[in-house]
Amino acid sequence: MIDPVTDVKGARPDEQITTNPADASQRMRMQTPMIAVAPWVIAILVLLFLPLVFTNNSALTIMNQMSITIIFALAYNMLLGQAGMLSFGHAVYAGVGGFACMHIMNMTDFFASIPLVILPIFGGLFGMGLAMIVGSFSTRSAGTVFAMISLGVGELIAASSVIIVAFFGGEEGVSGDRTYAQPFFGVEFLQQIEVYYLTAAWVIVSALLMFLWSRTPVGRMANAVRDNPERAEFLGYSSRWVRFYSFVASGFFAGIAGGLFAINYEILTEENLNTTSSGVILLVTFLGGVGFFFGPIIGAVVFTLVQTVLSLQTELWAFYAGSLFLATVMFFPGGLAGLLMMHVPVFKLGKAGHLVMPYIKTLIPAAIGVLGLAALVEMTFHYRHAATGDNEMTVFWTTFDSHTLLPWLIAGAITIIGLGIARATAPDLKEAWNEANTAGGGA
Amino acid sequence: MSVPALELNGLKKNFGKAEIIRGIDLSIGKAERHAIIGPNGAGKSTLFNLITARFPPSAGTVKLHGEDLTGLQPFEINRRGLSRSFQITNIFPKMTVFENVRCALLWAQGYKYSFWNFVNRSRKLTEGTEAILEQINLANRRDLPAGTLSYAEQRALEIGITIAGGANVIMLDEPTAGMSHSETDYITDLILKVTEGKTLIMVEHDMGVVFGLADRISVLVYGEIIATGAPEAVRADPKVQEAYLGAALEAEH
Repeated sequence: MIDPVTDVKGARPDEQITTNPADASQRMRMQTPMIAVAPWVIAILVLLFLPLVFTNNSALTIMNQMSITIIFALAYNMLLGQAGMLSFGHAVYAGVGGFACMHIMNMTDFFASIPLVILPIFGGLFGMGLAMIVGSFSTRSAGTVFAMISLGVGELIAASSVIIVAFFGGEEGVSGDRTYAQPFFGVEFLQQIEVYYLTAAWVIVSALLMFLWSRTPVGRMANAVRDNPERAEFLGYSSRWVRFYSFVASGFFAGIAGGLFAINYEILTEENLNTTSSGVILLVTFLGGVGFFFGPIIGAVVFTLVQTVLSLQTELWAFYAGSLFLATVMFFPGGLAGLLMMHVPVFKLGKAGHLVMPYIKTLIPAAIGVLGLAALVEMTFHYRHAATGDNEMTVFWTTFDSHTLLPWLIAGAITIIGLGIARATAPDLKEAWNEANTAGGGA
Repeated sequence: MSVPALELNGLKKNFGKAEIIRGIDLSIGKAERHAIIGPNGAGKSTLFNLITARFPPSAGTVKLHGEDLTGLQPFEINRRGLSRSFQITNIFPKMTVFENVRCALLWAQGYKYSFWNFVNRSRKLTEGTEAILEQINLANRRDLPAGTLSYAEQRALEIGITIAGGANVIMLDEPTAGMSHSETDYITDLILKVTEGKTLIMVEHDMGVVFGLADRISVLVYGEIIATGAPEAVRADPKVQEAYLGAALEAEH
């Protein structure tokens, strides 16, 4: 299950330029289109062959969820990373797009006349339409005003899901059947694998379009407005219109994600609109890193894995996801993508080898310490919440009685020793890091 | 007589009861280099901000090439051919030097809000940007984030951004503020070079720069222009000497 992560990571290291563009690589790009195309080819190949590795339906479901989250997170980052607009209510654009698609599914005659593959476009158009309405008054300024309006509108629309029952279906939501669409070259999308390829195709197309958007005049000016709206005004651009266009484009792709959700789950509820969903997408995007185009992709993959795979292991998955998010915000504001890209200069200097041993010496004990800490958390949870008399628990394939002292001592010792060694070796790692980032000398 | 590049009529600005700009009439001809000097707090930067619609004036009008600018937004004024720099360096710090200049060319080259053009595909855009970088001597810094440049380089970049769009009226707000002597000389030469044939309006404290660059000088004291004219005439004006220059010159000795 780790494969998607490494594949996506491996696919994009030379894509760093989107929101922090270094034009040297852009020139290189123009001279050698191969380099520009390579990450996309690799991504397509990965998406094509993943189902051959992970064949069962639940893996396909996880991968579909990943794809949907990738599109949504990339759309969200068009605002947050590229235009500097923090939205607390972006789920409504995906949600409304999804609800629109559900209603189209239920318009039997019309739905039977269109192939399912184009359904997400309708989701996109509805998301875009809503973004045009809201954006007309919310994009006047970035910052707090925009954030508050996005929160207010998000709450408003989520609340109207129980009021406007005709559209949002009240508490039970709206459900439908994707297989009533016109068969697409004989494919009726009865099987999960067919839906997988539909979703995969959309993730490639959407990601490519969003990437290309960032290379257009309006996409570049979004960065300029993010950095310094006043200066942008004195270059002939209205900051407000630049924000509006970014917002509308983001709404479109969020709507596409909503449409794909509709196709995959065949039901939409209030959950697709509410602030929790809006918060999750902010978390995913930030975790991956807002400064790089591919950041949200990593965020979506990692978060979906935590959400699906880890949640099978422990009820406390959200606690760990929250801790991971907190650690990212505090120690690596560039997110996971920023963490990866920090190493590019090291590789360019040819000193990556110097970091291997220090990393092993620090990170492995740290990981062991963190696992020990997780064991303590699990044991505390079990001690407090398990039924009376149910003293047996299993952590890391070890079954023991959580009401005896020994397991606590062992877990505590592992935690202290692991984190202790990590702490003791951290200065060496720091030194090695500084050395590896300095040109010349050494070696 | 041809239409002046910039014309101010009865321009006033109050912040509450405080009158910062108290009725300014000024006419600046095409291709003229005009310096606005005055003691601290005279309202020089406020005057700049009124002209470029950063603040609305309380009374009076600003005309650019004869067209009234009242009610226009900064970006609309910029599109009509007026560009400005800021007293505090105002660039895009996280973007590269190249990208900073390129953004300044987008509107001028007619790209508007398009999302069907790719910026790195346009040769005209790349060449135009490189030409500006040559002019401001930052070609060897093109791929660095603008925020990492030295102070003087950032000021040069800001001038580059200001002139890149091809505006014919350039307003510079204290372009040499906080610079060493050699940096000041460098920026002065740069300004002379890049504003060739354009109308230049600048606020400046350094008298060397002012007398070296300006065709005409206006002296602003407490929101009013007390003298306008050729450098020598202004220097000789007893009112100016009393109000400003005398004090400034004395302070230099």
